[in-house]
Amino acid sequence: MKLSKTISALCLSLVLMISSFGTANAKRLHAAIADWTGGIITCEVAVAILEREMGYKVKQTVFPSGTGLWEAIAAGELDFACESWPSYAEADDVMFNEDLIYDGKVVKSYKGDGTVDLLGTTGIIGMSDYWIPKYAADELGIKTWKDLNKHKAKFATIETGGKGRLIGCPVAGWNCHDQKRLDLLGIDFQADELGTEAAAIAEAKAAYMRKEPFLLYLWSPHWFFGEFDMVGVQLPEYATCEGDTFTEANNWKTCGTKGWPATGWDKDYTMNYGNPATFAKAEHSEAKAFFEKMKLENIDQAKMLVQVDIKKRDVKEVVNEWLDNNPDKWKSWLPN
Amino acid sequence: MDAVQKTLENKNNTKSIIKYSLVLLVFIGALFLSTQNDGPSKFPKVVTDEFTFTAWVNEGEDYLKKNYRWITKILANYIKAGYYFLEDFLLDSPWILVAAILTLPCFIVGGLKLGLFSCFVIYFWGAVGLWEASLQTVALMGLSVSLCVFFGVLLGIACSQSDRFENFMKPVLDTMQVMPAFVYLFPALFFFGIGGAPAILATMIYSMPPIIRLTNTGIRQVSKETVESATSFGSSKLQLLLKIKIPMSLPSIMMGINQVIMMALALVVLACFIGAEGIGGQVWQAIRRLDVGWAMEGGLCILFMAIMFDRFSKACSNKEDKLPSNVKKFHLIPQNLEKYKIARILEMPLDITSKIIDFICIKITNYIAIFTSIVVSIFNKNTANDIGEFISRRFYLIPSLIALFVISFVDSNLYEIGTFPKEWKLSIRQPISNAVESLTVDPGFIAFSKGLRGFVYLNLLRPLDIFLTHTPWWYTLAVFASIGYFTVGLRFAIITIILLLFIGACGIWPQSMITLSSVLVSVLLCFIIGVPLGIIASYSERFKNIQDVVLDAMQTLPYFCYLIPVLMFFGGGIVSAVLATVIYAIPPIIRLTALGLTQVSSTYSEVSRSFGGSLLQTLGKVKFPLAVPSLVIGFNQTVIMAFAMQIVTPLIGGKGLGLEVFNGLARSDTGRGLAAGVGIVLLAIIIDRISLAWTKKQRIALGLAKK
Repeated sequence: MKLSKTISALCLSLVLMISSFGTANAKRLHAAIADWTGGIITCEVAVAILEREMGYKVKQTVFPSGTGLWEAIAAGELDFACESWPSYAEADDVMFNEDLIYDGKVVKSYKGDGTVDLLGTTGIIGMSDYWIPKYAADELGIKTWKDLNKHKAKFATIETGGKGRLIGCPVAGWNCHDQKRLDLLGIDFQADELGTEAAAIAEAKAAYMRKEPFLLYLWSPHWFFGEFDMVGVQLPEYATCEGDTFTEANNWKTCGTKGWPATGWDKDYTMNYGNPATFAKAEHSEAKAFFEKMKLENIDQAKMLVQVDIKKRDVKEVVNEWLDNNPDKWKSWLPN
Repeated sequence: MDAVQKTLENKNNTKSIIKYSLVLLVFIGALFLSTQNDGPSKFPKVVTDEFTFTAWVNEGEDYLKKNYRWITKILANYIKAGYYFLEDFLLDSPWILVAAILTLPCFIVGGLKLGLFSCFVIYFWGAVGLWEASLQTVALMGLSVSLCVFFGVLLGIACSQSDRFENFMKPVLDTMQVMPAFVYLFPALFFFGIGGAPAILATMIYSMPPIIRLTNTGIRQVSKETVESATSFGSSKLQLLLKIKIPMSLPSIMMGINQVIMMALALVVLACFIGAEGIGGQVWQAIRRLDVGWAMEGGLCILFMAIMFDRFSKACSNKEDKLPSNVKKFHLIPQNLEKYKIARILEMPLDITSKIIDFICIKITNYIAIFTSIVVSIFNKNTANDIGEFISRRFYLIPSLIALFVISFVDSNLYEIGTFPKEWKLSIRQPISNAVESLTVDPGFIAFSKGLRGFVYLNLLRPLDIFLTHTPWWYTLAVFASIGYFTVGLRFAIITIILLLFIGACGIWPQSMITLSSVLVSVLLCFIIGVPLGIIASYSERFKNIQDVVLDAMQTLPYFCYLIPVLMFFGGGIVSAVLATVIYAIPPIIRLTALGLTQVSSTYSEVSRSFGGSLLQTLGKVKFPLAVPSLVIGFNQTVIMAFAMQIVTPLIGGKGLGLEVFNGLARSDTGRGLAAGVGIVLLAIIIDRISLAWTKKQRIALGLAKK
């Protein structure tokens, strides 16, 4: 006991000594790691540039995306998060008070309370849909979502019984409302939430290998479309209802099947978002300027996705390699 | 003999026939009612609409946040500052210094064996590229364990001094131990923000009970004679406490520290869900990307860390004062291999180096001791001698100190050492992933895993799911209440009703039934697999030895890691969730079966043999019935562990209350998460109490315990 006491005293004194030599890091930010690979890569690009070019030190924390993350950012627990998809986020209308600008055009205006700061678009434009493999579409003659019910037995698994199965949105916090959408559209399928992107993709990949028909929720850019031949089921055009008439609380009733989620998703101009107080500070003005200029293209993210998810390489390594090889693409994002 | 006859008699009793037929009747009733329902049974809407527990919690949380957030924020900021400080120190200082700080205590306390092991552990962290994550975990551990020990010992002493305080603390400690950690892990998030601070606080709640208890009992167990003789020599109460009682209860306190360390490690890893950094986060990310190799590396890092901390704290607790004369010869290779020449040759260099190091250490320390005592003796002769002896006894500590200072001096003035060298990396990620991949494309294995998945789902999970969710809630409630009444008593039956009504009123009845069915299926599978293993272990000593090692490793591993192998071979889905639960919850059942069977006194089996009973008959008719109480304890522990596992299974496709907790977190809906978390706890408590009471009855019936 005495010995361990002495040891701990020793460690503590050492800590005190050495930390007094250490240099203080003023430019620190704390970011969230997203729960899908695309988001991870976009964030890693931003973090790598902040660290390599602008002398920041960014601490990264794994945190599930969703309203909880928005609240953590509003409370200042985290400084920023990357690649929010507006048609998924439920907190953006409440917490943003800014215009979303892409290529100089206002794509969406927010009138919330401004507890979260819209840092700017990431440049990635996302599209989501339900997909079936090409071979199944050809074989069964499925053209749109209306044909799905006729073949639901082919899409069934042991878990779903008589219904067909949708390999649905894997993460609850994304607010896809898959089952709701299926029910409102009258598609007699059961949405299966597998917990992670990787689990859902693994399931889809295995089914593709066996040439079984399957219905998959997926977004692009995603590497899956490069490897496998998929066809969208063309969900109805995106539509919203006026005001708050269409919410989970009133069981999506008031709007009938006219509004989301009885439709597909909107074209998503994805954006980065952060804590307003942090980015209002003078020492972070450079970071704010960078986020305003950042514009990663879909094709670049897709290339890195292949490296990370198919070649199983480390994200940091892949992103650094991309930065080294394509300086002309990102040099212009740096603040002057 | 008496007991054996009694069990045999019991079987033929008409009473038991009535009992079994009653059970059957109840079951048939449930089956009938469940087929009447089309959809899952729901609580009356009036109740769930009125009883908006979720909304109340959220409102309460908002109120607390608005009015008292500043207090928790200050607290969180202090803890955070401490944590960041420690983390920065570990991450920014040269890696050799960090390694030395971690390994030298191991060398000092645990000798060459533990020291070498700790070196390997630290090399492994760096080699697989989890250096930073491991150090973050170490920092979290260090801070939370030291806070736990500090407050735990204080509270323990307070308990030992005042009976009233002890009576007050007892139920508090009980609740702390029964509550699964995640129930307060998530509320901690909302009050203390994300990251290190809530993780440390939650860890403190989770792992403090054993040290409080052990300090308390340690001090209370100091023998009366000692206390009396001390008082008769005129020592005051404070002196008695500080000079006699606490030093004498040190072994007990050290045991408490060991437990605190192991429990803290389990929770610190789990705390990645609330944004704490470290290996847990790495494993989580790996699971998310289905990267088995990466997850395995993380899991091994945690396992090695756990073994290192465990051995270190154990070595601390049973340490006699080491003197230069009683340092034992070191044996890396088991001593019975000593007769082979190769073994001796292999051990030679180690032996020599350790001798040289010892020699240098002792010499240096002696010189320093002489030097300081000379310096001090200018002022005071007596203190000089004392100091000289004090230093010369610490012949490892002083050289270590010097080594640490030399390293930091070199780093800051001569040559920057930096972080763990990249060239030393040795990734086992790819080989593991490749091996798993080659197995998972093997048609035989696919058929096996698919068959198992289909079997478990179609024959066990789905029927039970449908049965439990479709049975009307009032029927299930009544069954639980009557089981509670017959096993424990009226009071417990009423409590059961209230608890279940609470679950129903929160609107999570269907989810809780799904959780219950996954737990029951997992426990059933645990029995089917675990009991035979336990029986084999009770007959074969060699098998038992091997099994013990495996089970030891399994029990040191945080439960998060059990998702990895399942994910590897069975993919995501509800069956995988059940299988992961089985792997996690199986050790107690194996252990206690083996223990129960070996403990049955040999007279009973002798008697049975002499009456001509075969091995199987002896096992089935005599040994097994007598081992039942032990088995039920195993059942009890397995059930609790299975419930605890429900919180992480949603990561690989588990459903029910665990998923609700996750959804609550992602949607920032504390009420929903809390209701589901509390639901798991309540179910666990009910089943725990029932099975404990049943064990007691069995023991009384067998004459093993008194009424």
